[in-house]
Amino acid sequence: MICQECKEKNATVHIKTIVNGQLAEYYLCADCAKEKGYGNVFVNFENDFGNLLGGFLGGLSNPHQIERCEHCGSSFADITAKGKIGCAHCYDKFREELLPMIQRIHGEAKHKGKRPGGSALRIPEPNRQMVVSETGILDAKKLKLKKAIEEQDFERAAVLRDEIKEIEQNG
Amino acid sequence: MDKVMKWYEKAGAESDVVCSTRIRLARNLKDYPFAAKNTIAQKKEIAEKVKEAVLSGSSLMKDTFSAIPLENMKQEELVSLVERHVVSPEFISNIEGREIILSHDESISIMVNEEDHIRIQVIREGLALHEAYEMADKIDTLLSERLTFAFDDQLGYLTHCPTNLGTGMRASLMLHLPVLTEFGAMQRLSGNLSKLGITIRGSYGEGTQVTGGMYQLSNRITLGLSEKEAIENLQSIANQLITEERNLRGKAADNLMMQDKISRSAGILKSAKMISNQECLNCLSYVRMGVAANLLTGINIEDVNDLWVSVQPATLLTKIGKDLTSQERDIERAKIVRSKCENVKE
Repeated sequence: MICQECKEKNATVHIKTIVNGQLAEYYLCADCAKEKGYGNVFVNFENDFGNLLGGFLGGLSNPHQIERCEHCGSSFADITAKGKIGCAHCYDKFREELLPMIQRIHGEAKHKGKRPGGSALRIPEPNRQMVVSETGILDAKKLKLKKAIEEQDFERAAVLRDEIKEIEQNG
Repeated sequence: MDKVMKWYEKAGAESDVVCSTRIRLARNLKDYPFAAKNTIAQKKEIAEKVKEAVLSGSSLMKDTFSAIPLENMKQEELVSLVERHVVSPEFISNIEGREIILSHDESISIMVNEEDHIRIQVIREGLALHEAYEMADKIDTLLSERLTFAFDDQLGYLTHCPTNLGTGMRASLMLHLPVLTEFGAMQRLSGNLSKLGITIRGSYGEGTQVTGGMYQLSNRITLGLSEKEAIENLQSIANQLITEERNLRGKAADNLMMQDKISRSAGILKSAKMISNQECLNCLSYVRMGVAANLLTGINIEDVNDLWVSVQPATLLTKIGKDLTSQERDIERAKIVRSKCENVKE
């Protein structure tokens, strides 16, 4: 397919956007796409290098020698051609090759920030000694939980939910 | 029943320049390939898992959210979701295996099987980066109690596109910068911002055109910076843009040519019998500026923000509920705008 913008080069980028209330799809060449801000992060980097290598080794390569991710079957060439990674395991498999590009995109390649699992949200309220009536407390807490959810205060809701669970299990 | 206020029907902090704040977190499930490598069956499995995590049994989120059945929606209803910034254009281009879980006020959405398995999005009116992040963070934490996300010590949250690696967070501000645009400053600014790891573009994201001086300012870098650092960088750039826009507006407010444009725009919106989307947004842009500068009364910023969304072509069709030709659409648009602007005065 020919690029819809310059009508010269081959279209390699497919773009979806909204124009005047309609879903619009464009097929552009890499240059026109870049000009419009839709660059593939890998274009002009490893891809060209890969093609160069491909030129040298063209006659020799066969599918058995191409390294592929055991989980999704992506090769490194697949990744650079699309600019997208196949699966989480590809990051392990091709880590050495990917790191320079990742560094080029972000300037750094060391994560700072949130990690999954550890929730900083749950700090139980230490007020369980003054038990008057378990059911009264339970109802009150359930009411509070409902209110917290309505107010989208999930932090408080998480605490209340765990407290309710505890009372219900122990009671 | 009380109508739940949608986020675009409210005004927030710095609302003269900042229309809305958006935080998006990208997450993927550890045990499935990324979107492009997934089969439809796998997509459906993922959608079920996410829906269950949000909506089932003991989930704290189940009363706040509902799953919106996409397959029964008409094309204009789908496009309207994009115009209201609930989902991306990419999301509606092929809805097979996709799912949208939406809070009742439309301020929190969870897109399933877009570019990443899960995209949590929180929108707040005005400038509210910290508040919006806190909410997205809570939703993310609640989801991670029930789902296992792909995460790597060095690279952070693993994403389909390496541009989102790390925090997976894109923080965006919708900025109304009509005077900076008029003074031709945007080209220069855009180049400078890019060096600081910040992107500025049209209001519907990548490659979309700028209408009525509305821009989206967002962080580009997601790895090597914490969520807090990225948000603070964006906030400080936004503050500079807000100050610059306000300074120029201050000067422009005394300028007869600018006053003329504001008055004429109000006049058009008050009296037009038919109006195109483009002309309408250009006029709304001047009126928004006029309201912020106290040059116009009888309408507030919230109403202008609301109009900005409701005059968009597909949202208009969804509201009217029938197929309209483009001319009929322009007539309906003019009706809506006239009724909202009837009390506008100088």
